Amino acid sequence: MEMINDRDGLGVGEDVIGDRPRRYQRRRPRQIVPDYLDWKDVDLLRTFVPERGKIMPRRISMISAKDQRRLAKAIKRARSMAMLPFVAD
Amino acid sequence: MAKRTYEVMYIINPESDAERIEKLNDAVGKLIEKEGGEVIRMDDIGIRNLAYPIQKKRTGHYVLFEIDGSGQEIAELERRMRVNDMIMRYITVRVDEDRKKAAAIMDRKEARAAKRATFRPSKEEQETTSEEAVA
Repeated sequence: MEMINDRDGLGVGEDVIGDRPRRYQRRRPRQIVPDYLDWKDVDLLRTFVPERGKIMPRRISMISAKDQRRLAKAIKRARSMAMLPFVAD
Repeated sequence: MAKRTYEVMYIINPESDAERIEKLNDAVGKLIEKEGGEVIRMDDIGIRNLAYPIQKKRTGHYVLFEIDGSGQEIAELERRMRVNDMIMRYITVRVDEDRKKAAAIMDRKEARAAKRATFRPSKEEQETTSEEAVA
């Protein structure tokens, strides 16, 4: 079960804070956001929408704040046209 | 009047007749032309699954228009789409500004690459220039 190894240098590991080790994992997909972000490109947008349907936070996707704003707008547009779910369960 | 580019997408009730859908699309195109706009692209995407039900339907017939115009025709079009009961959803997005921005970014990237090429020539070129400097 304990499969913690920093194989790809992705910043996966364990920190001891206080009395118990806290596992941390930082994913860095380095997914780049295109200059022209098309709100109809559902496949691209889906890479930033995990299963639950929420928009992936910036700290996970590691994209810039500017890109996150553009992305959020595109996702919301796609949602309003039922191309992406508001909530998925 | 500044020319603007819009994308208009709407979802038609999937249970309506193909004939009526075609008529509707024609009417939209005609309306735009009449109001002084220009249809650049018309794409009948067809029936797609919806991510969530709209009016208790799980599928919808998507149609996408790309329009050049002043914005006046968009106002009229939206007003008509609102009252049309075949259209379940519609959205209008102005795209020219974002495209311009993207093109500007692209240009800047290219300019930077060109600049880098002149300032930092490839190794071979570097050697020749240094030799020239010695001589």
